[in-house]
Parts: sequence; structure tokens; C-alpha cells
Amino acid sequence: MLCLLWPPARAASASLPPIDVLMQALARVTARRAAFTETKSIAALSEPIRDNGTLIYRRPGYLAKITAPPHAEQLVVNGDQLTLAEGTEAPHVIALYSHPRLHALVDAVRGTLSGNLDLLRRWYNVTMTGSVAAWRLVLVPIDPGVASLIRFVAIEGGGTTLHWVRTVQANGDESTMTITPAQ
Amino acid sequence: MTALRRFRGLPILVAFAGAVLAVVLVLSRVSIRTDMTDFLPSGHTPEARVMLEQLRFGAGTSMIMLGIEGAPPATLARISRSMTTALDRSPLFLFVNNGDASLFGGSTERLLFRYRYLLSPAVTPQAFSVPALHADMVRLLRGLESSAAPLVSQFGLADPSGAFLALLKQWIGASQVRSVDGVWFAPHRDRALIILRTNAQGMDLENQQRAQMAIRTAFADNDPGSARLVAAGPAVFARQAADLMRADVTMLSLASTVLLSALLFWRFRSIWVLLLVAVPVLLGIAAAALAVQILFGFVHGVAIGFGVTMLGVSLDYPVLLVGHRKLAEPAAATLQRISEAFRLAVCSASLGLTGMLFAGIPGLAQLGCFSLVGLLVAAGVTRWILPHLIVAADLAPVSAGDPARFLRVEHLRVWRGWAAALGLAAIAGLALAGGPRWQTDLAALSPVPPDAMKLDASLRRELGAPDTVLMGLVQGQSVEDVLQREEKLLPTIDALTRRGVLVSAELAASYLPSAATQLARRAILPDPETLTARVAQARAGLPFRPDAFVPFIDAVTASRALPPLLPADIHASLFRARLDPLLFSRAGVYYGLIAPTALHDPAAFAAALHQNGVPFVDVTQEMNRIVADYTGTAWRWFAIGGAAAMVVIAAGLRSLRRVLAVAAAIVTALLVTVAILTAIGTRLSLIQVVSLQLVAGVGLDYALFFARRQLDQEERARTLRTLVTCNAMTMLSFGVLTLCRMPLLRQIGITVAIGAVLALVFAFLFAGVMPRDSTEEYG
Repeated sequence: MLCLLWPPARAASASLPPIDVLMQALARVTARRAAFTETKSIAALSEPIRDNGTLIYRRPGYLAKITAPPHAEQLVVNGDQLTLAEGTEAPHVIALYSHPRLHALVDAVRGTLSGNLDLLRRWYNVTMTGSVAAWRLVLVPIDPGVASLIRFVAIEGGGTTLHWVRTVQANGDESTMTITPAQ
Repeated sequence: MTALRRFRGLPILVAFAGAVLAVVLVLSRVSIRTDMTDFLPSGHTPEARVMLEQLRFGAGTSMIMLGIEGAPPATLARISRSMTTALDRSPLFLFVNNGDASLFGGSTERLLFRYRYLLSPAVTPQAFSVPALHADMVRLLRGLESSAAPLVSQFGLADPSGAFLALLKQWIGASQVRSVDGVWFAPHRDRALIILRTNAQGMDLENQQRAQMAIRTAFADNDPGSARLVAAGPAVFARQAADLMRADVTMLSLASTVLLSALLFWRFRSIWVLLLVAVPVLLGIAAAALAVQILFGFVHGVAIGFGVTMLGVSLDYPVLLVGHRKLAEPAAATLQRISEAFRLAVCSASLGLTGMLFAGIPGLAQLGCFSLVGLLVAAGVTRWILPHLIVAADLAPVSAGDPARFLRVEHLRVWRGWAAALGLAAIAGLALAGGPRWQTDLAALSPVPPDAMKLDASLRRELGAPDTVLMGLVQGQSVEDVLQREEKLLPTIDALTRRGVLVSAELAASYLPSAATQLARRAILPDPETLTARVAQARAGLPFRPDAFVPFIDAVTASRALPPLLPADIHASLFRARLDPLLFSRAGVYYGLIAPTALHDPAAFAAALHQNGVPFVDVTQEMNRIVADYTGTAWRWFAIGGAAAMVVIAAGLRSLRRVLAVAAAIVTALLVTVAILTAIGTRLSLIQVVSLQLVAGVGLDYALFFARRQLDQEERARTLRTLVTCNAMTMLSFGVLTLCRMPLLRQIGITVAIGAVLALVFAFLFAGVMPRDSTEEYG
């Protein structure tokens, strides 16, 4: 009897878990540009490291993190290739797939930005709390190799906007990146 | 009548069953070896011998290379990943590797990290000085400030001087394999690559079968779609060769049985002849295998294979007997007509084979023994047992037909001058071509098809696996001795690498330093108090907390108490997989291989090794020298055997003209066959020696039977028809070989088919007696 009262189209969207709704929304964003500030607390260092810069994203696999001086560097991930250029030194080019830990770290951000839940789940147990309007994702590594480096990654946002990304390492070091969409 | 004939055939049936039983019994009892080491002589130098043995039995034989192709790269990578996961769990494999990632996070990484201050070349006295430590810390700080911070902090604080990173660099080494989705790919095509090693040795066929089945299952389970799996490696070849051989032999026995049955039935109108013909050959094989087993303690598979080929000549014996019988004739009468030629044919053929017995090469001696015993037994059975069976079943050819027709055929002998010219032309042609071309490549004798060889070479190249044909061989009293000697070579190899002589070299010492080196490094490590003081000094002015480098100081302190890492203590599979093929012992001597990758200038590499007292072995050249020797010896004894056979024939025929005729027929047939083979680009090897011996054997039968003092035209017609039947049998049974997929069998087929026809033609033309002359000569 209830079936008759419930319109089928609504039934489909309503039965979709919020995480899928969120991912679908994120997947629709084709490009982003945002300013960021990052604070890294490293146990070995007596004070935290603070940086700021620009984040650029293009669907589905391009991500650039351009850090302003004093720690100027350009980190560009495109597909399988990661390029890290610091100051005037020759850039390091790394095949991500050969470095699962790095790969997992990059895919935490990339997977979220591109709304690719399958990609996230390849590396992490993914839990979402809150609503699509104000959400929080917690990513806990599945692979022991990755877990030996990363304890978890937490990402908070509202709708298709990311507010911050927090990475907690297995050794207790952590970094928090706060993101402000560029105008 | 039919019932009666079937009853009369009963003795034949019994004899046939007995012969089959004898073969089955003998072949199931003798110990058959298939290893080429038992057949080939060993290398020229002790180093070459060790190397060849290592190639056959060493850890390298359990390596299997896989390629997955024929689908989009993403699909190939997915299959590669899930296959690797599945196979990695299987107890059949020592390790399965499909990408660089497998080095990280495993037991090998943990072991390397733990032993980093003993193993790493970065451990020098300077590395622990205050200025060096300060520079390390500045670099570390920069790393922590960068986006690579998580990775830097994982290893950097416990290893600021980068000993572990220097180790890892050596491990990742020169492999230039392309990566797609973290999976190795061939550089120039969409082919995912996997390298694995089985726990079983390469020649443990039963376990290899299981391992290769597991690989195929793992592939099929990951819904491959359009993708194909290709595999190469010594163990894969061994199995492929066995499969191919089985398929070929099945096809062969079916096809030749059908063809020979049809031929013999058409000729004799009796199925009994078919069984009868098989009896001497089967008993010959059984006796031959038994004799070889008794004399040598084992029978080599190659000796059986080639030996059975050479015994093909004994198929003629029963046919010659039945073919010359007149219906209802007593056995003694037939025998009397053919006995002289028959005896001579058998004696000279046996003598021809005797040479090989004394060749001094284990395989050839077996082959000679096998053929000789087989031939004599087959001839004996034909001479003393078969006549009773034939008479009992009253077997004889269908009517010899109109002798006049054969007279016309015999007039073809007017062409004998032209045929002699053909022989001279063959000599001239061979001389112009600079003689026949000799096979110097062992691969030609190998049962592995050339396509499989090509696949192996391409996978090896794509994986950056070291060449296994050009290698240095370091010898020592112990593992430690070998490693120390290798360490002395490292600067030389580095210099050669910088000069572009080679891209890199695999050797055990670059993965595992000698205990002496490890102890020397350990002695460099400062004690905790000194190191703590130096670290504190080095840290001055940098934002590190006072306790930031406690993990480093602890690790150095722990390393000071570590015993050196010895090969016996290494259980990490990846480590073992790298080390085992490079370090081995044989008969109390320890050896280390130096295997170059992409060696551009072998001469320079060899010279540099020689200067350091390390022999350089070119396995291909070594193999080829062995094969050349082997083939040369075989040909020489073939010639000696042939000469001895001629002496017997001369003694038996007692007529210079007839001896010359018989010799001319056989020699011309062999010469023209060799000329044709050379013209079609065949290189002569052991295969041709064996095949040409068969040709010489049948040629001898033909020539001696044609050269008999023949009583009447009817008998001449009978001889011609019988010999044509023999020839057709040889043609059919060996012609089928040309359809085989194994190059070896195909080559035997081509050589025998060409040779047998020529042998018949030349025997007919030269040895056969012109009807007009016969009365004059024998009258």
C-alpha cells in the first residue's frame, strides 16, 4: 500500500546514502582554485611550521599545491605522476603507483575532490558524519603499509566546498590545511 | 577362407602383442633421463662447466616471466594486480612481483632498515662527524617543511644521514620498467609484466605443472576478457616442449599408422602385414633400450628419439622379405633369393653405426648402441622368426603385374649419365657455396620452438632482467670469500657503468656486503655518549627538540651490537629472490655471478674482469663450441662408419663394378640431399647426421637389392615394387614429420624425405643392373 503513495523517483533519491549524494555533488565540480593555510605540528620540531599558498584542481586527476615563500615549492600531481619542485633545485618526478604511501595520501584529497568513492575505498575505510550541507569524512587506511605512515585523514566541508583537511600520522605528527575558495 | 586366414594370422597377432608388451615393459622399467647435460659433453673450461650447470639447475631455473596483453592498460593492470595478490598467497611461489611497490612495507624493507648501518655504503667515518650531521639536519628540516614531510619524518629522524635511502636506491637500481597504475609495463607496448619464482626447482616438472596451472587459474579467475597471458622461463619451456612433443607424437603415430596401413593393405591385401612389419622394429626398440640401460645405467630421451628414427630402416626388412615372396612359396626359397643382399645390408648398416659407439661423447655412444642393437635384433627377428609367421599366414604381395611394364621402367636407366652429372653438380654447387653450412647454435637442437625463445628474450629485455649469457664468475672458498672478491670489483664495475660499457650489473655484494665490510662499518659507529654529544652540537641553532634524534642514537647503538647479516640468516623472500641466483655453491666451491644488464661492449667488460682475475663466460659461445665439437665428431664417425661399411660391401659383393655402383648410388644420394638442404638454407647439425645415417641405411638396402644377381624379369619386377613400397613407407612415415610443430622433428622429416627419394632414384639408376647387360654379365 505504501508503495502506491511513495513516488518511485523520490524513493530512489531518498534511499541513496548521504555519502553517495555528497560524492555525486563533488564529482560535478570540474575545476577549483583556492587559497590555503597549512599548520604542521611535528614532534621533532620545537615549533609548528606554517605555510600558505594556492590549490588548483582539475577533474579528475590534476592537483597542484603551490606554496608561497619562505618554504616555496610546487607540488603537482597529474595522473600517476607526482612532481615536486623546491626553489631552484631540479624537480623530483615520482611515479605515484610505485609509492603506495604517497599515493594513498594524494588520493585522499583527490578522491574527495573528484567525488570518487571507489578510489577512496581502495585505500581507506570511509565514514561520513553530518549532512551533505555540513559534512565530515574520516579516512582510515586499510593497507598496513599505508597505516604505518598515516593514522587517519579527516576532511570537513559544506556542500561541494572543502573547509579543511587534517592528516594525523602514525607517529603523532599532524598537519591541518584550511581552505578558502578563491573569488 | 577368411576365417582360416584369420586363424593363420594368429601367430602374427601373438608375436605383435608380445613385441608391444616387450616395448612397454622395457620402456617402463628403464630409467629415462631427459637432461641435456647427460647427452652433451661439458664445457671447455671449469668456469664454463659451472655456469652451464648453474643455468640448468640453478635458482634461475625457477623463474617465470609473465606478460598480460591484448586489452586496455587499465584492464591489464587490474588483472596483474589481482593475479599477483592471488599468487602471492599461494605456497607454490617464493615471490611474485609486478611493480616496484612490492619492495615497500614488506619483510625485506624491515630487514634492510634494521641492518642499514651495516649494509649501507653511506656509512663512513665522515657521515657521523658534527658538520655532516648538521648538514643532514638542515636537509631534514627542509624536507619536514615541504609537502614530503610525512615521508621524511617516517625515516628521516631515525636515519638523518640517509643510510637507508642509499640502500633503497641500490635495490631499485637500473630497472627502467614503465609503470601503469603501479604495475610494471613493457616500455614500448601495452603488456603488463609479472616476474615470479616458484618454490620448486625448474626441472621439478610435477610441481612446475602445478605452479603453472595456478598461474593460468589466477589469470582465468580475474575475468580477463580479451586479454592474453604469455609466459616464459626455463620451467615453462620444459613443459611447453613436453606438451608439444606429446601433441606431435600423437598426431604422428595416428597419421603414419593410417597411411602405412593403407599402403601395406593396398600392396599386400592383408592387415597381417601391418602387424608383421611392426614386430621386428618393436622388438628392436625393446632390445636396444634394454642394452643401453644395461651398458650405461640409464637411457637418454634423445637417444630413444633419434634411435627410433634411425631404426626406421629396419621397417624395410620385413617388407623386403614379404615383398619378395611368391604366393605359397616355402620360406627357405624366398630367403635364399634375398639372403646375400639382406645379410650385406644388415652388416654394413650395423658397421656404419658402430663408429658412434667410439665417438667418446656420452650421448652419441648411447645413440650408436641403441641403433646398433635395435638394427641387429630387428634383422635377426626378420631372418629367423618372421619367415614362419609369413608362411603360416601365407602372406605375399598381390600379383607382380606385367613384367613388361617394368622393363619399360628399367629403360629409364639410360639417364644414369645425367644423374651422375647431378651428383657432380651437387659437389660443384656445394663448393661454390663454400661447403654446407654447419649449425653452431644449440637452439637448433632444442625442442623449444623459436617463437617461445623470442618471447623469452623480449620479456627479459622488457623486465630489465640481466643477460644470462654473458657473465662474470667469481670463485671463492666460502660465501664470505666470494663477497669480498666481489667487493673489490665494485669500483671497476662502477667505472665501466660510467663509461657506458653496461647499464648496470647484478651481483650479490651490491645487495649484501661481506661480513668483513659489515664489521668495518660497525666499527665506525660512534658510541652513544659520543653520538649524543655530536648530535647536540650539530642541532645547535636548528628548531629540533632536544629528543628529536633519540631514535637515530638508539638505532646506531643497537647496530653496534648487531652481528653481520649472513645469507643463511636471510628469509625475506624478495631478498632471497635477489640473492639466490647470484650466489651458489657447487662441490664445495662457492661462486658469485656478475650478470650485466644491457652490456654494450662485452669485450671491454671481459677485459676489465680478466684484469681482476675474474673469468668471463660467454654461455652462448660456450654452448656453440660444444655443439660444433659434437656435430664435428658425429660427422667424422659417420664418415668412418661409412668407410667401414664399404669395406664389408666390397668383401661381400666381390665385384669392383658393383661396389662402385652401390657406393656411387649412396654417396650421390647423400651429396645431392646435402646440396638441396644447403640450397634451402638448412644448417647441418646432429639432426642431419642422424637423418642422413637413416638415408644411407635405406639407400644401402635399395642399392644392394637392385645390385643382386637377379634370376628373371619377374624377380626384378618384384624387387622394384618391393623397394618402391619400402620407399613409400619411409616417405609416408617421415613425410608426416614435416607437419610437426617441433622444429627438430620437422627437420628430420625434411631430410629423410628428400634423402630417401634420392636414395631410391640413384640406387635404381646406378646399382640396378640394365636388363640387356644382365645376361652378359652373369650369363
